[in-house]
Amino acid sequence: MNEILAVAGVVIKELYRRKDFYVLFILTVLICAIMGSVNIFNDNQIIRYLKELCLLLIWISSLVIAITTTARQIPAEREQRTLLPLLAKPLSRTRLILGKFFGCWIVCGLALICFYAFFGALAASREHQWPLLNYSQAAFLHWMALGAIIALALLGSLVFAAPSSNATICFAFVVAIMCLGRYLDLVALSLHEPSRSILYAIYFAIPHLEIPFELRNLIIHDWPLVGWTFLGLEALYLLAYTAFFLVAACLVFRRKAVN
Amino acid sequence: MSNRRTIWLVLAALFIFCFGLAANLQPQFQSLENSRRQSDNFFKLLLGDSSRIFANSFFIKADAYYHSGYYPTIFDNNEAFKTPHMAEDTGAIASHNQGDENSFMGPPRNWIDAFSRHFIPNRHTHLDEGGPTDDLSKSSEVREILPWLKLSAKLDPENIRTYLVTSYWLRTRLHKVAEAEQVLREGLRNNPDDPQLLFELGCIYFEDYHDLAQARNIWEAGLRSWSRQAPGIPQSERLKLTNENFDSRYVFERLQTHLAELEEKAGNRVAAIAHWQQAALASPDPKDPQKHIDELKNKNPHL
Amino acid sequence: MIKNVMSPILDIQNLRVEFPTRDGKSPIKVVVRNLTLSVNAGEVFGFLGPNGAGKTTTMNVMLGFVNATAGDILLFGTSVRLPIARQRIGYLPEMTYYYKFLTAEELLRFYARLFRIPRAEAARRIDWALKLVDLEDARRRLIKTYSKGMQQRVGLAQALINNPDLLILDEPTSGLDPLGRMKVRQIIQRLKDDGKTVFFASHELGEVETVCDRVAILHEGELRAEGRVKDLVAQHQCNLEQVFLRVIGCQN
Repeated sequence: MNEILAVAGVVIKELYRRKDFYVLFILTVLICAIMGSVNIFNDNQIIRYLKELCLLLIWISSLVIAITTTARQIPAEREQRTLLPLLAKPLSRTRLILGKFFGCWIVCGLALICFYAFFGALAASREHQWPLLNYSQAAFLHWMALGAIIALALLGSLVFAAPSSNATICFAFVVAIMCLGRYLDLVALSLHEPSRSILYAIYFAIPHLEIPFELRNLIIHDWPLVGWTFLGLEALYLLAYTAFFLVAACLVFRRKAVN
Repeated sequence: MSNRRTIWLVLAALFIFCFGLAANLQPQFQSLENSRRQSDNFFKLLLGDSSRIFANSFFIKADAYYHSGYYPTIFDNNEAFKTPHMAEDTGAIASHNQGDENSFMGPPRNWIDAFSRHFIPNRHTHLDEGGPTDDLSKSSEVREILPWLKLSAKLDPENIRTYLVTSYWLRTRLHKVAEAEQVLREGLRNNPDDPQLLFELGCIYFEDYHDLAQARNIWEAGLRSWSRQAPGIPQSERLKLTNENFDSRYVFERLQTHLAELEEKAGNRVAAIAHWQQAALASPDPKDPQKHIDELKNKNPHL
Repeated sequence: MIKNVMSPILDIQNLRVEFPTRDGKSPIKVVVRNLTLSVNAGEVFGFLGPNGAGKTTTMNVMLGFVNATAGDILLFGTSVRLPIARQRIGYLPEMTYYYKFLTAEELLRFYARLFRIPRAEAARRIDWALKLVDLEDARRRLIKTYSKGMQQRVGLAQALINNPDLLILDEPTSGLDPLGRMKVRQIIQRLKDDGKTVFFASHELGEVETVCDRVAILHEGELRAEGRVKDLVAQHQCNLEQVFLRVIGCQN
């Protein structure tokens, strides 16, 4: 565990010494500030459109941070030849992968805390209330979803040659799931065999990342809390996919030549 | 040294040439600009006709906000949402909704669908009825639909439906009469003499400002505009009880009905009876205007 | 220090490494053929060969970067397939690149954690290593601001952070100025005096002849010569460079 945390620590240092997070955070704040300053019929209590915009920007920013940070971990180590002195230490490849994963995941968690704190402050400025439990549920599931995405990107970084192609494919895959994942079975119904069966199989096989993504609507429109049992089950569901992608990544990396 | 002087001279010559060219082309530019005045809307310039598609999307988005996010997508059964409820509830738009608005998603299709429904809005509510909390003290949260309506109006200024819906909610739920009037006037700038917009504006003067004279002027202008809408088609033809005539009849009836009430309030019973008689021509149930006529005649037997 | 003559520190047993070819002319390419070699404790061992001889591949197998097709390598009696085999080694690659966003101190602390060195001990060793390679003044600067020579020295420091019993160096003096080379030779000598074992690959035969106790010469994946430097030089009646050329078949 010590080695895993040591590797994770290096990833965290990398993130806060790069500019990515700060740029995205400032961009989010600026866009929200500009949109919040629009006068809508002299009513300064209108907030939901701003909450929706802010949450959308948070999701976009978190995906950018998660995927781009993860996609470059192993390829950058290989390209910059820092991988060799690293693996020359008593560090197994599995622990290296786990260290990279935890580093990226913790980094995303820290970023999410900053983003959601800003979101809470923004909402409270007009709503004058702090539904902390609701925000915590959304942030927690968001973080769990990012875990699955990071594990996927890590696997992709070992399969695809270039970080850019890995990042593009991950983005496309994740966005497609978020937009269409819920409705693939409906689309399948309208097709003939064998397309129908293939699409059904895809529907059940993919990680349904649209579930944490659509939780935003409950936050935006002040719906009550999600049941804690269901929250726990969803977290387990996402963890299962995370574990699956990580195991696959470890198996692929063990067979890969590193020089 | 001579190189530097040459560079400055060339720059000066270029500047003079550009200035002269701009001055020479100015009259042509002005005439072009005037003929393109209709496209001074930034969004229309940017998006062209597709701005209407965006406008419609944002109008639907406002209705989704009206339902606190519980809204059908293109994959769901949206028979009960063909006419946005926030527009239907204003009474200004005819409804084409059918089916069950409470369960457009249908029963869960599989365990994933069943499980995911715990993470999305899953109950039919209206913001003006308290939203998800059913707390009527929060009915003013209907304000949340306004940004999308404002955006929709900007993108498609020729769609009067947006102005009607916006002004209704501003006036009735949020008690922002001045803002509602501004919205209607903006609608009239983009859609001159539209009878529906004139009707709503007249309502503001009648019900909120209690300015009977101005309300009368506006409604009568609305009637004149209604008459001019279909030149060559007789009024009787336009007031026939057919589906095609529904909107036209509806506007005419509302204008005549409200003018009748205004004249009653002003004590002009003759004018009031005349308007009720006109309203009866358009009403699907003529007994109601006739009842008002009978009441007025009973109060004044010589009429 | 009593040298352990019973079991070698590094034991290469019938190592064979094959790679699939991409040109399609032959199905596989044999890079290392049945290499058997051992290095005893306290030796400075030179691993020589022309480019493409299989030196780097052998070292890659030693460090666990590549899997052997057949045979095995034992480090301190443990197969190199196990990460724990690398607990007592230090490795300096030929091209030294480290995390540019870290300082030298942070880098060494990171590697010390990988070796599970306790914090207090790690702090002591970091101070010692940085002093040894003359990087004390630059310890808190980001590595991206370092010159090539400084990066090479950071590499040496990270190779020594765990006080290794076996130091594996790949072209340690590559790219260094004469002063830098002298420092490296001094460090190797000092390690030898401390009873450490050094295994290094180099093309600088003059340095190898000065520093090494034994050498092995590899050519086309096969071991062509092995033995003490003095013995080889005496046997062929010429300097090490000429012995090298003769063994690989470039000189009579």
